[in-house]
Amino acid sequence: MRTVTLQDYKRRILRVLTHIQQHLDEPLPLDELAALACFSRYHFHRIFKGMVGESVKEYVRRLRLERAAGRLKLGSASVIEIALDAGYESHEAFTRSFKACFGASPSHFRRIRRAQFALVPSGVHYRPGKTIQHFRSLRRGENMKVEIKQLQPMRVAFLRHVGPYNEVGATWDRLLTILGKDGHLGGDTMMLGICHDDPEITPPAKIRYDACVTVGDDFKPTGDIQVQTVAGGEYAITTHTGPYNNLSRTYSEFLGQWLPRSGRELRETPCFEVYLNDPQSTAPEDLLTDIYAPLAPQNSVTRR
Amino acid sequence: MRAATKTATKKTEKLDLYRKYSKEYAASRNPAFVKIGSATYLFISGKGAPGGEAFSEAIGALYGVAFTVKMTRKFAGKQDYAVSKLEGLWPDFKCGEPIPDKDQWTWQMLIRTPDFVKQNEIKQAVAVLQKRGKGAGAERVHLESIEEGLCVQALHVGPYEDEVATLAIMKSFAEKEGMKLRGVHHEIYLSDPRRVEPAKLKTILRHPVERIGN
Repeated sequence: MRTVTLQDYKRRILRVLTHIQQHLDEPLPLDELAALACFSRYHFHRIFKGMVGESVKEYVRRLRLERAAGRLKLGSASVIEIALDAGYESHEAFTRSFKACFGASPSHFRRIRRAQFALVPSGVHYRPGKTIQHFRSLRRGENMKVEIKQLQPMRVAFLRHVGPYNEVGATWDRLLTILGKDGHLGGDTMMLGICHDDPEITPPAKIRYDACVTVGDDFKPTGDIQVQTVAGGEYAITTHTGPYNNLSRTYSEFLGQWLPRSGRELRETPCFEVYLNDPQSTAPEDLLTDIYAPLAPQNSVTRR
Repeated sequence: MRAATKTATKKTEKLDLYRKYSKEYAASRNPAFVKIGSATYLFISGKGAPGGEAFSEAIGALYGVAFTVKMTRKFAGKQDYAVSKLEGLWPDFKCGEPIPDKDQWTWQMLIRTPDFVKQNEIKQAVAVLQKRGKGAGAERVHLESIEEGLCVQALHVGPYEDEVATLAIMKSFAEKEGMKLRGVHHEIYLSDPRRVEPAKLKTILRHPVERIGN
């Protein structure tokens, strides 16, 4: 048995960084990239974003633009040809993205012929034909307060919300009203959120989120309120303080900075959130949310 | 189910007592006098160390009743409101006397509740919680209105153990103005002690006063 190290995590992410650079014209589905790096598909995108400082989508888009910049500088292809190659459907969309990345329009860039890559946290830029050997990783997660706990499986009543993450309030309202009037919101009740999709990669209309309330064995599913069991086992837990719309920042730090230095790996089951206070009587900056990340058993870590 | 969907989407103005009576909750580190009108609370009283078993059960019972009453009303399409913050009434320790053992402390914990909530709704909530096996301590929760009148009030920032110092400042402030403290002091918890570090805990301290010589 051998403990997984930060170097292992970095090596696996490097594999993805290089693979993306070599396959920029392919669709690059997340599941495939996750498998390539031996990460669970539930957690890969958050680990990637936390370590690299850009989401997979942002990294792919930037590398395509950097490749386009190289072609503008050296080749004779028309701007629209280069735009189409970079995955854009119109000249306008390409120009907008290009400007945001390089501070100049494609045609102006071509005239001055000075490739100036924007600064990026990882320091990785498009270098055709090269294997990426190194990337810079932020070092924020080192002082994060994380607790490791063994949980029993939890029976929860839940309502599934499909749609933008910031609209889950109405689903909660409905769930709590129905459970509350039947006496299910006693003193030790926990409120959990399970997000099956990442708001940064899934279109808002398709995000699946389960609003869950712990219930006893006497609860029977009613209407569209169903029952599921949240897996027990070992979890790493950190607390996010502040508005819910800043949660993704804490996820990045937790899974992209703390986790690679923890000697642990995550299990093939989603993270969940536990809401500690009532958003109706708590100021957004005082809201407390515990993030639970499911840990794989320590002895199951194999050499990759 | 259909009724619930309706209530959840109906746009009625949600009552937030904390906002409605914001003047009564104004507090800074410097003490000031505030006039507190009559207010209705869900009460539970008990004895034991803060954070101890009896205390935790009481808080759980209080919140259980508060949310069950609120959600039952909401489901029935009645006026919606936010469940207010946790508050407590604590006896003052006598100056010069030794502070009693924490296990001997008596307290009343409360949650401010709109006046339109009635006693029979509390009874109904307790019954429904008991039916689910979630009613531990719930039968001790009752509804009561109190009128604290003129009070001295200040914001205490820091661990609960250090409240004595802020209360002493409030006392001397009141005395300078020809007032003396009466009754028990009232704490309104703005922070969540489960995660907020003690040095940053914010608590409104309120103490009823009366003119010296009364």
